[in-house]
Amino acid sequence: MSEQSKVSANFSSLPVILLLGLVSLPLVLMYAYLLLDTVSNSEAGSLIPSEFTLEHWSFLWQMKPGKPNIWLVTLNTFIFASCITAVILIVSSMAGYVLSRLNLPARGFFLAGVMVLHAFPSVTLIIAIFIVLQYIGLYNSLVGVILVKSAIDLPLGIWLMKGFYDTVPWEIEMAGIVDGASRFAVWRRLVLPQIKPAIMALGLFSFLTGWSEFILPQVLAPGAHVQVLSVYLASLIADDNNFDFATFKAVGVFYVIPVLILYVFFQKHLMNIYGGGTKG
Amino acid sequence: MIAPAAIMIFLFFLMPVGLTAIFAMTSMSTATGISGGVWQVTQGAVNRLEGDMPALAEGIAQPRFVVDEEGLAALEALKLKPGYVIELRAEHVGEVFPSRREAERVIKALKDRPSTREVKQISDLFNRSVLNTRFESREALVRSLEKLGFKLTPEERDKVATATYTGWVWTTDNFRMIGNSPDMAQIFLNTAFYVAVTLLLFNVSYALFLAVTTHYMPPTTASVFRAIWLLPRITPVVIYVLMWKWLTWDNGFLSLLMGQFGVPPKNYLLDNSYNAWFFVILINGFIGASMGMLVFSSAIKAIPETQFHASEVDGASRWQQIRYIILPQLRWPILFVTCYQTLSLLASFQEIHLSTRGGPGKATEVWSLAAFHTALNNYTGNLEYGLGAAMALVLVVVGLVLSLIYLRVFRYDTLISKPLIED
Repeated sequence: MSEQSKVSANFSSLPVILLLGLVSLPLVLMYAYLLLDTVSNSEAGSLIPSEFTLEHWSFLWQMKPGKPNIWLVTLNTFIFASCITAVILIVSSMAGYVLSRLNLPARGFFLAGVMVLHAFPSVTLIIAIFIVLQYIGLYNSLVGVILVKSAIDLPLGIWLMKGFYDTVPWEIEMAGIVDGASRFAVWRRLVLPQIKPAIMALGLFSFLTGWSEFILPQVLAPGAHVQVLSVYLASLIADDNNFDFATFKAVGVFYVIPVLILYVFFQKHLMNIYGGGTKG
Repeated sequence: MIAPAAIMIFLFFLMPVGLTAIFAMTSMSTATGISGGVWQVTQGAVNRLEGDMPALAEGIAQPRFVVDEEGLAALEALKLKPGYVIELRAEHVGEVFPSRREAERVIKALKDRPSTREVKQISDLFNRSVLNTRFESREALVRSLEKLGFKLTPEERDKVATATYTGWVWTTDNFRMIGNSPDMAQIFLNTAFYVAVTLLLFNVSYALFLAVTTHYMPPTTASVFRAIWLLPRITPVVIYVLMWKWLTWDNGFLSLLMGQFGVPPKNYLLDNSYNAWFFVILINGFIGASMGMLVFSSAIKAIPETQFHASEVDGASRWQQIRYIILPQLRWPILFVTCYQTLSLLASFQEIHLSTRGGPGKATEVWSLAAFHTALNNYTGNLEYGLGAAMALVLVVVGLVLSLIYLRVFRYDTLISKPLIED
């Protein structure tokens, strides 16, 4: 790509960069002000901040009336995202291997089914799941919503893992089988280490989607003791009595920082999944 | 090894879908509850009966007074003058009075002359009105109606039972409602408009524009733009929408900016339906653009560079390169993104729910959001699970049909190759 831009001198990229910059301006502005507004105050009617302040971050050490403790909420979110990651990684790395490598009856059907499920609108499931969870008593508990969320992300995980397994050369497994190892041992000792980057990518992806998930916890576990950050923030925003954009933004930044850190450090891994990965 | 995946998929995909289909055939709502119901003659039930059986409806809405053994026993227990019981049992047993006044006239005429307070007390004991009484079974309802002197044919019994039942029943009304209601047609049009416009403008066209332009940029500039446009996708949806609210609300950025030019502040997100649609499409389009951008970028990267070099030698302009080299080779990725994003857009409602809530009015209500609002989240408080499930089922069917078509289009069999190790 770099060579091309040097070779092709018949075109100036400056106007295009300017145009793109203009279109990207709303995004850049929104992010800039998201960060800026949390640590500053500006006079009414002005867009330029006039003083530095940390008062908007007071939610970290002062409990909001009627709202759960922010640290408990953060802990819940962390548990929620980690458990989802663990479940998705374990289940889909096993299922992906089976679908990629073993002669299973109805393998094609299962794969097609998983593909179709991936395209399923979650709203179609959420109504029934809501009623099911109420029946079996997992409503308003982290366990229930973790299981549901990981199940919903599972088809994507299985397809991704299947795709990654497909790239591992058969010779490694052949060698293992010839030496008398079982298929499970071959998978555990020989194949799994080959796809470490894939596991890393899927793990990150699952953690991020878990961290960001809103609608499932909102519907299935809205209670104060199991609240996650997205639900907490949404309830702050929905509360008409204490309307304070700067505080919302501070909570938002607090919530988004882990995401941004992971994104900055592991951008390459994530691109794998957000882009072509969905093709399986 | 596949068992855990199969179990989870069964529990949280197949079973809910099956249940959705079942719920779709019922009239479940907050009012009926999800377990069984009881039989209760409410004012609503009376109104429902008025059309078919006006006499009966009139009758059960009024209080009824019956002199029966039950009431006499209760009267004995009150330990008033024993003459009351004896006389009532001897002269009036089995009599039915259609109103309190008539019953009290008879009681007043008793030889022992009960006081006004006692008359009230006694008449209360014989009050056998069915209005607002709960019956645990259908038979109990019918029996007490007959005691009151209503003679019912079996068909009439059926009608009364149906009208007074408070639990959910099997019905196909949900689908009829979806088919006939003009609201649903409006929501359907909204959905089609939303999906088509977002898909065309952002998920495909703008994504293509991003991919092509960043392809021709110096790598650092390109990666900056790619990173910026990936932000909406990785940002948690609640914050993402919060930022848009800050941009558009009446104390937000646009209002402040326009205020510098003397325009009074207003809520740009919700002041009219055009603006609402404009921002709903922007909010979703900015997220959607990133997937197309990544898919197209990697597809462009896969085009052999020699083709670009050769065209440069032949004196092709950028536009000609795009038109004759890049676009033809992006046919499949474009088709893929179109198909994939149609499904995601059909299913997506979080962003709209958080930003406009389908407002102003119902201007930006789309199908999945309407299903969610109907079944799980609305202001009136009556959550209609049955109707919501029916709406969701429509989405399931659409999704299934579309994805089966896509699997055919993308020649699914080429995606799976036979395993090399025979077990």
